[in-house]
Amino acid sequence: MDFAAERDLAKDFLNNFADANGEAKYLNILQDVSNHKIRSIQIELEDLFNHKDLDEDFLKRVMENTRRYIGIFSDAIDEIMPESTEAFPDDDHDIYMTQRMEEDSEKPENTDRHQRMPPEIKRFYEVYIKASSKERPFTIREVKSSYIGQLVRISGIVTRCSDVKPLMQVAVYTCEECGFEIYQEVTARIFMPLFECPSNRCKTNKTKGNIQLQHRASKFLKFQEAKIQELAEHVPKGHIPRSMTIHLRGELTRKVSPGDVVELSGIFLPIPYTGFRAMRAGLVADTFLEAMSVNHFKKKYEEYELKGDEEEQIARLAEDGDIYNKLSRSLAPEIFGHEDVKKALLLLLVGAPHRKLKDGMKIRGDLHICLMGDPGVAKSQLLKHIINVAPRGVYTTGRGSSGVGLTAAVQRDPVTNEMVLEGGALVLADMGICAIDEFDKMEESDRTAIHEVMEQQTVSIAKAGITTSLNARTAVLAAANPAWGRYDLRRTPAENINLPPALLSRFDLLWLILDRADMDNDLEMARHIVYVHQNKESPALGFAPLEPSVLRAYISAARKISPHVPRELEEYIASAYSSIRQDEAKTSAPHSYTTVRTLLSILRISSALARLRFSEAVAQSDVDEALRLMQMSKFSLYSDDRQKSGLDAISDIYSILRDEAARTNKMDVSYADALNWISRKGYSEAQLKECLEEYAALNVWQIHPNTFDIRFIDA
Amino acid sequence: MVGVAFDCLANPLGAVRVTFEKAMTSKTDPKSLNGKDWGAIEVFRDFLSDRETLSQVPILDHSSIGWIQPNSLVRFRGLVQDMLGNEFYVGAYKDGSTWRTNKFTDVASFPMGSEAETSIWERQLLYCVPVPGQNTWTVQRSSQSVVSSCNNWSSQHGEKRQREDAMLEDHMVDQELQGSTSSSKKMREGGVSGQSSQLQESVTDETSGKVCTIPDFDSKYLPCLVKLYDSPESDYKLNDIIEFVGVFTFNPELMAQGDGSTDLSNELFEDALAHLPPNKVPRLHCLVHRKLANHDFLLGSPVIEITPNLIRKTREALLGHLTTVLGNDGLAAECVLLHLLSRVIVHARVDSAAVGKLSLNLTGFTTESYNVFGSQLKSAVQTLLPFTKSVPFSVEYLNSVSLAPRKDYETNRLVSGVLQLAEGTHLTLDETQLKAGMLNSIGVENARLLNNLVELQKVEYDFQFYKMEMPTDVQVLILSEGKSNILPADLVLPFQPSAVGSSVNAGTEALQAWRWYLATLRLSAHDLDPDMQKVIEDDLVAARQEDRSLGSKDFSRWLSMARLISISLGESCLTLEHWQMAKELERRRKERLNEMKK
Repeated sequence: MDFAAERDLAKDFLNNFADANGEAKYLNILQDVSNHKIRSIQIELEDLFNHKDLDEDFLKRVMENTRRYIGIFSDAIDEIMPESTEAFPDDDHDIYMTQRMEEDSEKPENTDRHQRMPPEIKRFYEVYIKASSKERPFTIREVKSSYIGQLVRISGIVTRCSDVKPLMQVAVYTCEECGFEIYQEVTARIFMPLFECPSNRCKTNKTKGNIQLQHRASKFLKFQEAKIQELAEHVPKGHIPRSMTIHLRGELTRKVSPGDVVELSGIFLPIPYTGFRAMRAGLVADTFLEAMSVNHFKKKYEEYELKGDEEEQIARLAEDGDIYNKLSRSLAPEIFGHEDVKKALLLLLVGAPHRKLKDGMKIRGDLHICLMGDPGVAKSQLLKHIINVAPRGVYTTGRGSSGVGLTAAVQRDPVTNEMVLEGGALVLADMGICAIDEFDKMEESDRTAIHEVMEQQTVSIAKAGITTSLNARTAVLAAANPAWGRYDLRRTPAENINLPPALLSRFDLLWLILDRADMDNDLEMARHIVYVHQNKESPALGFAPLEPSVLRAYISAARKISPHVPRELEEYIASAYSSIRQDEAKTSAPHSYTTVRTLLSILRISSALARLRFSEAVAQSDVDEALRLMQMSKFSLYSDDRQKSGLDAISDIYSILRDEAARTNKMDVSYADALNWISRKGYSEAQLKECLEEYAALNVWQIHPNTFDIRFIDA
Repeated sequence: MVGVAFDCLANPLGAVRVTFEKAMTSKTDPKSLNGKDWGAIEVFRDFLSDRETLSQVPILDHSSIGWIQPNSLVRFRGLVQDMLGNEFYVGAYKDGSTWRTNKFTDVASFPMGSEAETSIWERQLLYCVPVPGQNTWTVQRSSQSVVSSCNNWSSQHGEKRQREDAMLEDHMVDQELQGSTSSSKKMREGGVSGQSSQLQESVTDETSGKVCTIPDFDSKYLPCLVKLYDSPESDYKLNDIIEFVGVFTFNPELMAQGDGSTDLSNELFEDALAHLPPNKVPRLHCLVHRKLANHDFLLGSPVIEITPNLIRKTREALLGHLTTVLGNDGLAAECVLLHLLSRVIVHARVDSAAVGKLSLNLTGFTTESYNVFGSQLKSAVQTLLPFTKSVPFSVEYLNSVSLAPRKDYETNRLVSGVLQLAEGTHLTLDETQLKAGMLNSIGVENARLLNNLVELQKVEYDFQFYKMEMPTDVQVLILSEGKSNILPADLVLPFQPSAVGSSVNAGTEALQAWRWYLATLRLSAHDLDPDMQKVIEDDLVAARQEDRSLGSKDFSRWLSMARLISISLGESCLTLEHWQMAKELERRRKERLNEMKK
């Protein structure tokens, strides 16, 4: 390898690389380094790749022998380092340097390698080569022996960290005899200190000059060791996560702590053995990763960076018209049915933009949803799944959390004796989703702590000398059982729900999921179980659900949009709202509490829908869908007392038949089908016949005289 | 190849070398051999394909370790308890002008120059231990010449275990040993003294013994560090029982490493291997390995032709035996039979129960009936299945024991727990000792773990920063006074013995037949034809229309029972008759449950 040629290539790159804006990126960095503003120079492989006069072999060489090229780049930087343009206070290192430079120039010709000043000691910067972030990072398992010496990018969780310690980089000695400074470069973690002056003068005089290590003059580097382990999702079934040792130097120290999920790029190297271990080292080599860059995984939508092909994937999805259904189906795909509930949950993930009025008042954009239902209808699983999809989500149960646990606690710090605030679940879920299971089993007093969070989106604390309020901009997803554990059909919905109106009105949507005696569902369940036993696997879903990562990417993209309501829709929404109010006024026992909050809910849901379409404006269809969802959520309450409420059997049968026919989009219904449908809803054949006759008389449909098949007359 | 065959046993490395040199002469680039076989493994695979030669390979155990020569071919059967990741080693190096290999060995056979050209390869490290809960009778007798001079370690190990189990039982039995007529009494004779004080000891011994302290070679418990070459990851899993055949190496000069080392790299992160010095844990460089199942542990498995008639006969006999053991409770015997045949077919994707399992909860045990029948049943199970484990359940136990394995980052090892069990292990949970008391946080966690095990057949391994669910396949039998609420079993049956069993000792031949029956049929394939499917679906829907309280769990149980009945009769396809039998069994069980309520 021709080092000079390589160095020239490196120099050329540093001098001539221009980023997307045409700026000389690296020269700017060097200037900053020269002005002592920054210490680290990060050379990105991606830039090397994008460099106009790229030599592909050079890139490959850099990747495969990274450690050597750090030296080469450092040499190149030494040569082109610009003069500092700003004054900065001298520290003792600089004083040493000036002194050395003078001495250096005085010396005639340095022939002794120990007396020659190593370039390393002059450098006040650190060079890192960062791997390209285009491809997926490796898992620890995938780093094989063939990668030794190469630059790799891996992801993992930090399990252990050592203290930061100084690591000697250049040892400097002074000789008592000749007075020269002697330099010794240290490349390994262990080095053998010099004891005799190796300078020519001492050697020729045979004085065996006594030399002393000068700590102040030596160059040390911060050094930290860490251990990372594979992430749970990367471990193959039935295997144990592997781990890897990481060496962090200089500016990269103190960047990680145990529990962090990180993405690292670094050089995969064997540990050079010395001394006794060398014996064993003959056969076995320990390895470590010399870190070059450390990235923490982002956990917020706002900071979500799209990876590689995700952008393209999202664009493709956005073009697809059916995105609303597709996304909602991909939420908890294993849970059968509940399409509307899933749609609502999808909208909860998307949310609406927050609004800040001129006078400083804030209107929340987060949607709150409450799922209420019989035990065993997969509420908790829906909740957990949503938490998994959301980049930031906290799951808690009402029973397991006190009001303090949900909001914030004031605690005395054991060391400093100061009062400190510790955020509870809702505060931790700021900018995310807080799922509260067993909402109904919460103490009344704890539940009130949520009121403020749900509307004002803050947590106010006034205790033990601390008065403050914390942000809790979180969407609340609650699950609750009806008042008597199971939904009691003989009681009114209000009695069954049993949550105070003040709380209920804060939920944008309230879903009632009941376990109904339904032949269809039973058959579906029986089929599913038999299928699993028969085929030793869960039945195919009938569609390919989107990966949670894709969902997350799409939602984060959608959340960047903040749609507005066009003027012409205002009237439409207002009239819809007033008609709901009217309806409610008419019934004696209202099932819901329609307030101004309801109007805001409609707006929020519509905006979320617009976001999903990547549209800057809310369309009428969005409002319609929002109203439909609200209606459906109410319908889940109504439908059960439909029969009770005096709606007669005949007209109910008619509506069932009409709905089914509309669903299948056919004008003809066979008698057998009709009988099937209505018997599932608990009506008899005699009632069906009665209905057929009655409506035939009204000329709604025609009945075939022999087969009794129905033909709707198009209006 | 005949000439090589002899070498394989005493000098396997010679065979490796010969094949390597052969590969080198054909101008193969040694660097391209990384992760590949150059014909060495093939030689051994050929050599060992014969059962007879395989049995000539000595089994590595605590007694044989004394005389087995280093660098000879040995066998080790064990459970993969931990995976220590991969190890990079100098796979090939240039000695002068010839390439040498270090594969399958710890030290270079020829001196290696410091500047020699090398190629670094990698191998997997597996920490293997004897299978937890292995019973005495599964001891493998290898060829006479090998075993003649020494005891087989696993026999002693097994005996010890049984003594321990017996001690546990004794504790529960309190001082009423005399009344027992069961066969387990014989096994108990070894350890009757100081039972109660030993309970705690033996429990901790069982759990922690295999955990942190790695005993010397002469202990009853011999772990082994297996170095595995070029195996795809799908070939082996944690908790698999695997038979490794490979080179046993022992190099005293490597022993010294690790002590008093001031090496910086050991300061913070202890090398896992430093805790497993070669003088405590033997190294085995694996050449050939194969996964074992329960039936591999049957000795002298009767190679009889499987006729439906024979199966039916065996079933009758076994059912009769179980009935006697259970004091003439025929229904319980039937349930136990199905339970012993059950296995997890599939772990469902969602948080729903595992399919195929059939955990059994026998209720109605009083102290007296437990003394007689409980221990009788336990010893019967011990003689029938190769791996059994019994866990006494008490508040103190739950509060103290560590059930789930957890990762210790100090030593970088997976610390085993009681629930780290091989596939197909039988676990008896004895709840009769449970009294009212407070569970601490460990106890609550343990109760949750057991609950998950019974319901989902999954055990959460604690990796501190996250938990990992490991699928298991453990047959769980719960003995309790009332219905166990901590452990929701599939089948709950009040136990109603009518007569104290006369003699429950079974002949060796019968026992062998039964073991064979259980091990073989358990794994047999089973199918459901579409017509039957339809019948069952309709039946299920009708049942649910009638009784709304029936859920998917009940249906799943019915199907499992039907499948097991069908399997127990040696059939591979579910017929209407079996379905009816399952429903009938369920009806009788319900009837008895209702009786008990009155």
